[in-house]
Amino acid sequence: MKILSALIKKEFLQIIRDPSSIIIAFVLPLLSILIYMYGVNLDSVKVTLGIKNDDSNSEISTLVKSFGHSKYVNSIVFDNEQELEEAITRSKIKGAVIIPNDFSTKISRGQSGDLLIITDGTEVNTANYVQSYSTAIANSWLNTSKYKYLTENPVVRPVLRVWYNQDLNSHYFILPGSISVTMTLIGILLTALVVAREWERGTMEALLSTQVRKIDIVLGKYIPYFTLGMISMTFNVFLCVGVFKVPFRGHYLVLFAVSALFLFTLLGVGLTISSKLKNQFLASQVALSIGFLPALMLSGLMFPINSMPRFFQILTGILPPRYFITFIESEFMAGTIWSLVAINAVFLTVLGLLLFFLVYKSTDMRLGGK
Amino acid sequence: MPTVTIKNLTKDFGSTTAINDLSLEIEKGKITGLIGADGAGKTTLIRLIIGLLLPKSGSIDVLGLNPFTQKPQLVSKIGYMPQKFGLYEDLTVIENLRLYADLKNQPYEFDKMLEFTSLSPFQDRLAGALSGGMKQKLGLACTLLGTPEFLLLDEPSVGVDPISRRDLMKMVRDMISPETTVLWSTAYLDEAHSFDTAVVLDKGKVIYNGKPHDLEESPKEFEDKVIELMGGYKNEPSKIAENYVYSGEFDLEAEQCTVVADNLEKKYGNFYAVKNNSFCIKRGEIFGLLGPNGAGKSTSFKMMCGLSKPTSGTAKIMGIDILKNPAKARSNLGYMAQKFSLYGALTVRQNLEFFAAAYGIGLFDRKKRVDEIIEVFDFQDVQNQKSEDLPLGFKQRLSLACALIHNPPILFLDEPTSGVDVIARREFWNHITSLAKKGVTILVTTHFMDEAEFCDRISLFYKGEAIAVGSPAELKQKAGVSDMENAFINLIKESGK
Amino acid sequence: MIIEYLRRILALIKKEFITIWKDPKSRGIIIAMPLLQLFVFANAITMEVKNIDTVIIDRDNSVESRELVSRFEHSPRFRKFYFVDNEKDFQAKIDNQKVQIGVYINNDFSSSVKSKKPTDVLVIADGRQTNSAAIAGGYASQIIEGYNSEITGAKGAGINPVIRNWFNPNLEYRWYILTVIIAMLALVITLLLTALSIAREREMGTFDQLIVSPLSSFEILLGKTIPPLVIAMGLTVLMTLIIVAGFKVPFAGSIWLFLVSIFVSLLSIVGVGLFISSICKTQQQAILGVITFQMPSVLLSGFISPIEDMPPGWQYLTWINPVRFFIVLTRGIFLKGMGVEDVWMNLVPLILIAIVTLSLASWTFKRKLD
Repeated sequence: MKILSALIKKEFLQIIRDPSSIIIAFVLPLLSILIYMYGVNLDSVKVTLGIKNDDSNSEISTLVKSFGHSKYVNSIVFDNEQELEEAITRSKIKGAVIIPNDFSTKISRGQSGDLLIITDGTEVNTANYVQSYSTAIANSWLNTSKYKYLTENPVVRPVLRVWYNQDLNSHYFILPGSISVTMTLIGILLTALVVAREWERGTMEALLSTQVRKIDIVLGKYIPYFTLGMISMTFNVFLCVGVFKVPFRGHYLVLFAVSALFLFTLLGVGLTISSKLKNQFLASQVALSIGFLPALMLSGLMFPINSMPRFFQILTGILPPRYFITFIESEFMAGTIWSLVAINAVFLTVLGLLLFFLVYKSTDMRLGGK
Repeated sequence: MPTVTIKNLTKDFGSTTAINDLSLEIEKGKITGLIGADGAGKTTLIRLIIGLLLPKSGSIDVLGLNPFTQKPQLVSKIGYMPQKFGLYEDLTVIENLRLYADLKNQPYEFDKMLEFTSLSPFQDRLAGALSGGMKQKLGLACTLLGTPEFLLLDEPSVGVDPISRRDLMKMVRDMISPETTVLWSTAYLDEAHSFDTAVVLDKGKVIYNGKPHDLEESPKEFEDKVIELMGGYKNEPSKIAENYVYSGEFDLEAEQCTVVADNLEKKYGNFYAVKNNSFCIKRGEIFGLLGPNGAGKSTSFKMMCGLSKPTSGTAKIMGIDILKNPAKARSNLGYMAQKFSLYGALTVRQNLEFFAAAYGIGLFDRKKRVDEIIEVFDFQDVQNQKSEDLPLGFKQRLSLACALIHNPPILFLDEPTSGVDVIARREFWNHITSLAKKGVTILVTTHFMDEAEFCDRISLFYKGEAIAVGSPAELKQKAGVSDMENAFINLIKESGK
Repeated sequence: MIIEYLRRILALIKKEFITIWKDPKSRGIIIAMPLLQLFVFANAITMEVKNIDTVIIDRDNSVESRELVSRFEHSPRFRKFYFVDNEKDFQAKIDNQKVQIGVYINNDFSSSVKSKKPTDVLVIADGRQTNSAAIAGGYASQIIEGYNSEITGAKGAGINPVIRNWFNPNLEYRWYILTVIIAMLALVITLLLTALSIAREREMGTFDQLIVSPLSSFEILLGKTIPPLVIAMGLTVLMTLIIVAGFKVPFAGSIWLFLVSIFVSLLSIVGVGLFISSICKTQQQAILGVITFQMPSVLLSGFISPIEDMPPGWQYLTWINPVRFFIVLTRGIFLKGMGVEDVWMNLVPLILIAIVTLSLASWTFKRKLD
């Protein structure tokens, strides 16, 4: 016990002496929350559209105007087809709406008028927005234009409600979700070098010649960085709830309990890298290449896991942020839902224990080959 | 009953045999010196004894325990100081002591230890900011905590000045009880001569085990005898010097001195690391910078080769200001850093080729030159090994080889022989003195006082200032003693008063 | 003179290659990590929402309502259906994330359909699950609208959107993600190769050795620039080949423009990496530097959300982000066949970034003497 507390104390002193771990724990969350808050915007996407009107009917010019009035669209009117095409190719506009010359004729006869919508397929998301915005603007124009009596009222109408996030403010899920990605980075970066450093500096050799047990070395790394990580986690939550006013509907106790499990698995990842490689350079390379992109892309924050092929869905099962993201978004937006808490907590615990076991196994008590 | 009994011990690393069927007993209550050439297996043997490595075959019994299976019980009875001291450099002196006290289940009673090591005033200084000598004392203090029955020290005196070395020795002798067994690996044969027993290793085997005094009475003769045991030193003319050709022209008319320091000063805040340092080294002269650890030698050195910017003053190489025209000045310079600083991932040959090219040696000449150096430095067997895997002595030799690759007219050597075995040191100095005879100017720092004797002139450094400059004979005379080591100690003490 | 110069630089380059390539672990990390991630991301990531699970309350339980439900069942996007008869179970399924969508059919459904009286079908989307909720909700609405137009017989005036997706006719998300991810992975490797290199030499003491040699800081800079550039370039080309041959994404542009573009883009990232490395004393600090650059540059590149939707200040910030231009170039040349003039417009900022960062790095070499 005395040995363990001495090792923990030592690790804390080292954390205080080298500001980089403190920077990782506090500056990184701040930076990332600012970016997700201001730099990432998934709801009110505004697209620039080109419009070309080949229909000389004066009523149609109101359609062109209604594109101009939409808050989702910046419209630019083109007269020349070639210019319009070039504008799309050069990404000046994200798409275009072309009104054919028989548009008003068809509508005034009570038929459907074709509306040509061109999108820039290289940006798939934006292309989808171009499609749905243009159709919606044209439809609402039709319902207020002089042709409105020619339209048929729908019988069955869909009414869409979004639960837990009525106003569809994407920051309400991005900010809590981003904590998951940021903490992954922090947890791995904090620990990826700490064992390798002791081997490189020769202090491990000195430790091994004392009565230190394997479990002391392992816990002596886990406990200090766990503490620092939890402080960093608290800071993250504070930024989210306190500064950026993201509504929190769950229980803080539950939030921190599951966060603790999450952090436990992350430290396991970093410490496994560090104790297996025993070399700061290699450990840095691995930590940098797995710490950020996979968590961002495969955790479900940006891209739905449900839509992945089955094999890759299973593969994401080894990523701790995947479980945490499901949990934290629900905890923030819907409150504590015990079945969700339980299932994610169980997975994180299993993963964390496996990694702990791996760290324990990879901690050498003798010098290797040399 | 002996503290250690080793029977038929063998240890391999890949295809190389580090310990070869070795049997040895280490007597209880005695100080045993472990001597051997670089790569003889000293560190490996110590690590095997405390169970940090597992052998291929053979058995070891330490204090009645088997280190391979009973390491946890064994470690509580021993104190081990590895080559890098095992200190946490980002922790303070007192924090390091407290850490090791806790790890060894000892109370926080450091007063005696701190007083003894004269580290009391530096308790709150980071271990990384201590001078080499102080680090060693702190490392030893940590090792001595809990009064171990068996003390193992792996080259504790590498890179330490004579005063610190004496202190270290005194510290060990005073702090241990008569029952304590000490195994002390060292490159200083005068040190080994003062021990109870000397064990000489060669190629993983024991080639001598007995009282040093049985071998020879005086330290000097002991050294010669050990060298003989280790295969002998052939005092052949230096091939390096023979092959040395300076391609440039000495313009001695224009500049009397090839290396000039003019009022060099380095200030950190209000603290002078180096103050008012001036010297002028003539062509072919060996100029030694001596002084305790932390006296400002390395800082002076760094300013001389342009690695550190002086607060004031100038440094000139062949009449060229190192700061104003660094590339030109440096092309005349061969530099060997204190710490091994070659590319660890490159092989011996690749390192040589790289530095040859960096100094602008053409492709055809390069091949010839590298082959030549490999032959002269005896690198044939290791030329394709990664340099980070070499024993310390080989690394030092490789550093010198790289510094000499372009036949520079000036050589700067910062503790070139620390950690190098005695034969290699002799060869080393043979090369250096022969090169000087061919007109190479040499600036060198060292902690070996026998080496200081080879210098033409010495500048004795203390607390950032040169306290005495002169030939070894002049310094000895000034101090009123007959050997360099005592001259060093006396002059430093006098100036301290 | 010039030969001597080249000789020295060649020696530096050779040394750097040996250091990077000789260690099989390091080589493995540099090659395997990006290729593995390319493979996983290419297969796993999609914005298309598939495998939607749905909970349905059918209060009407008539021929008409079952007809509507069967339309859901036949849609390839929907997977599992849970039929419940009370609101409690309905909510529980959504709360526990068993389903992404809930559909509620009122008991007046069939009578309304028969009498052509308007009726609403409630679609509930789970707002916790990123914007896949909105997308899934959109699909459900489409199905209901389809049903409506069938029972009303699609009479009357209307808008018939005719959609053309240029460059990517089927809006394949993979085309988009692959041409972006190639830039992201190239970014990660290049930073790995450069940001640690000088910091490591400093820690090892070899950098002093270089400074003491007659090598000029320009030569050292070249020696540090070329090897990572060549390796990253090789990997990027390899990844491009995999994308074209393995994932069948058509390459529309000029190969030479593409090569020039990735060369300049990588050069600018090398510049950033070396600059980070030159100001760091230890590898730990360098890692921190890499992350503080890498995270914002990925998130603010336009990949996660369009730059036009950021606040104006943040949009200016992206002008110093090389990744922003890098992805415009890879995507533009790959999918659109971007022309010389447009390529040039995007190359200029990259060249400026490279010049500034590389000069700063080489200047810092000299300044770093204390």
